[in-house]
Amino acid sequence: MRGLWVRFGEVDAVQGIDVAAQAGRATALLGRNGAGKSTTMRVLAGVIPPTAGHVQVDGVDVAADPMTVKRLTGYCPDVGGLVPRATPWEHLQLSARLRRLDGWEPRARDLLERFELGDVAHRVTSGFSHGMSRRLSVVLAAFHEPGVLLLDEPFDGVDPLGVEATLEVVADARARGAAVLVSTHLRELAMQACDQALVLRGGARVATLGSDELGGERGAETYRALLG
Amino acid sequence: MSGSTTWRELRGARHDLPALLAFRRSGLTPAARRRVRLGAAAVAVLTVVVALVPAYVGDPADAGNVLALLPAAALGFAVVAIVSAVASAGGRELVPRDQAVAYPVSSAVDHLGALLMAPLNIAWLLQAWLLLGSTAWALGPTSWWAYQLPVLLWVLVATALAQVVGWCVEGVRRGPRGPLVFRLGVGVLAVAGAAVVLTGSVTAALDRSPTRLLLGGVLDGSAGRWWPWAAVVGGLVVALAGLVVVGAWPAGWALARPMREELRLEGGRHRARRTSRTELGALVRLDRASIWRSVPLRRGTLVLAVMPGLVALLGGLDWRTLMILPGLVVSGGALLFAVNAWCLDGRGMLWRENLPVAPSTALLARCWVLVELLLGAASLTLLLGALRAGVPTAAELAAVVSLTAVVTLQVVAGASRWSVQRPYAADLRSARATPAPPVVMVGYSARLALSTTVTSLLFSTLALLGNVAAVLLVALLMLLWSGWRLERVAQRWDEPVTRARVVVTVAG
Repeated sequence: MRGLWVRFGEVDAVQGIDVAAQAGRATALLGRNGAGKSTTMRVLAGVIPPTAGHVQVDGVDVAADPMTVKRLTGYCPDVGGLVPRATPWEHLQLSARLRRLDGWEPRARDLLERFELGDVAHRVTSGFSHGMSRRLSVVLAAFHEPGVLLLDEPFDGVDPLGVEATLEVVADARARGAAVLVSTHLRELAMQACDQALVLRGGARVATLGSDELGGERGAETYRALLG
Repeated sequence: MSGSTTWRELRGARHDLPALLAFRRSGLTPAARRRVRLGAAAVAVLTVVVALVPAYVGDPADAGNVLALLPAAALGFAVVAIVSAVASAGGRELVPRDQAVAYPVSSAVDHLGALLMAPLNIAWLLQAWLLLGSTAWALGPTSWWAYQLPVLLWVLVATALAQVVGWCVEGVRRGPRGPLVFRLGVGVLAVAGAAVVLTGSVTAALDRSPTRLLLGGVLDGSAGRWWPWAAVVGGLVVALAGLVVVGAWPAGWALARPMREELRLEGGRHRARRTSRTELGALVRLDRASIWRSVPLRRGTLVLAVMPGLVALLGGLDWRTLMILPGLVVSGGALLFAVNAWCLDGRGMLWRENLPVAPSTALLARCWVLVELLLGAASLTLLLGALRAGVPTAAELAAVVSLTAVVTLQVVAGASRWSVQRPYAADLRSARATPAPPVVMVGYSARLALSTTVTSLLFSTLALLGNVAAVLLVALLMLLWSGWRLERVAQRWDEPVTRARVVVTVAG
């Protein structure tokens, strides 16, 4: 991604961000509210088109071929991300049908069990707690084993077991050679999941740091200084 | 809730209600505020025109016939207001539930807000105008203000009464076995209505309607009999004030009870089905589930399909009169969610947009489900009406079938355009929610009512001419026109920037 620029009316949500995420590596997008993290993720997921800049996912231009980009990516949106009156199983069924997956049921069941959602697989999601919704969104993003896994605030309001399951999903994705991008406010968890971090401020990148540089007390101070 | 608490809440409403109205207004863009002001001015001017102009153009020879129908028309207004309040679970929300949750909005304020929202409904406005206009037509310009005042007060009293009934019914419905008790109540009313019709007692029943007192007040005002007129006006003012205040108690009672039907749907399990063989089939299935698992959409569709059909059945309407119903039902159905069709997905819209499927397929699925819903509702209405309408002529049959298809596609095309042009974030969990802000809904309902009524009148006229070929030709042309409008919507939906705006707005 080079020089990504996204404008909503008069507001520049993202102002010329450069991001490179390699296969088999996990990259965190860190920053305060409104830093442009979620907008960047939405562009990478093919949900919103870039206003300017060059964005490629696995060599495919997002603006030119968003459909292929959607096939390549698995996306956990920052808000909700679930159809309110559909069940988790129906979400997975639709995803499997549109992504043309065969024999998907065992993996779907396994993921739901790992995220402790097996018991509610056939209940509509509007009755779910925030944490349950987040966990299901991660399941949906990882379900088809995408080449690029985009997790926007996956730890937000999630209990420790859900966090562990999410970290496992990230580790699994890296192990099979997927590129992972995790957007979060939670620096410590980001450093557990990722090996490098991009810090965004006001829609622009202000630093790229390794996980060792952002860990511990020293990392917290560095991060605070970068947030301004 | 104790009586003293409700009194305190009612007193506090003086400050809370304007604050909530200001909060609601603050969400409007300057252009939207301008449109709202223009709309309000137009309604005010139209109301004065409707209440005054017929007085100068009316025919005194018709006065007796028109006035004889006034008590029935006034009763009809109250019945429709009650049905509307019951169908919307007590009344519309002044501020959507998810936005109001952070504020201490009392049930008394909720009640008064719902009362303020009640006239934001084209059916309410049209009926009120019909009452005012027909009275003016019959009685002429002399003492115009005096005979219209009781009519105007009746409109307000009936609305306040409907609100009280709406809260009471909602309270019952939210109770243990509430839906069962409600259905039994509706069944009893339907049987009673059928009995009145089948025994030929409709006229006798209407003659005993309490709205005869209103006619008395109207005639007293027209003739300058001021004491009896003042008694009727005074009675209506007292009734209005009383009902507005009293409504706060059933509102508090109903709103304090759990939303059992909604909770049952949310907690219930839905058996897994086999994966659909096609992409379109998979999307249609999810969209259908989104509709039929929503309490307001299910309830609204049923009311829209059955109520006009029952009126047609009980009234023994003929085929030409029946032709007004498909447009009415289809317009009402579109107002349930189709004018903001993507709100069905709520925040799931972001996830859905990441699925690898052509935008046109997603749009086609949504339109398909919409056509299914609207055609189904209109067909049920016609089926009920047909039971007593006699055997139609070939032209009448062709007209009614063509008209139903035409208005359905017409409404789907219009609603799809609005859905893409002006999306809103809306949570359709509660039966009190609307897919777009209430003020916007008035505009949508007026435009839908106008276009479908004109179409209905056109086909009604064609049926009268008795030329089947002409009916089919006009239907084909109109279907092609709507198809072309839908194609234009599809082209707009295909633009990534347009789609992104809808997705981000709907996902909130």
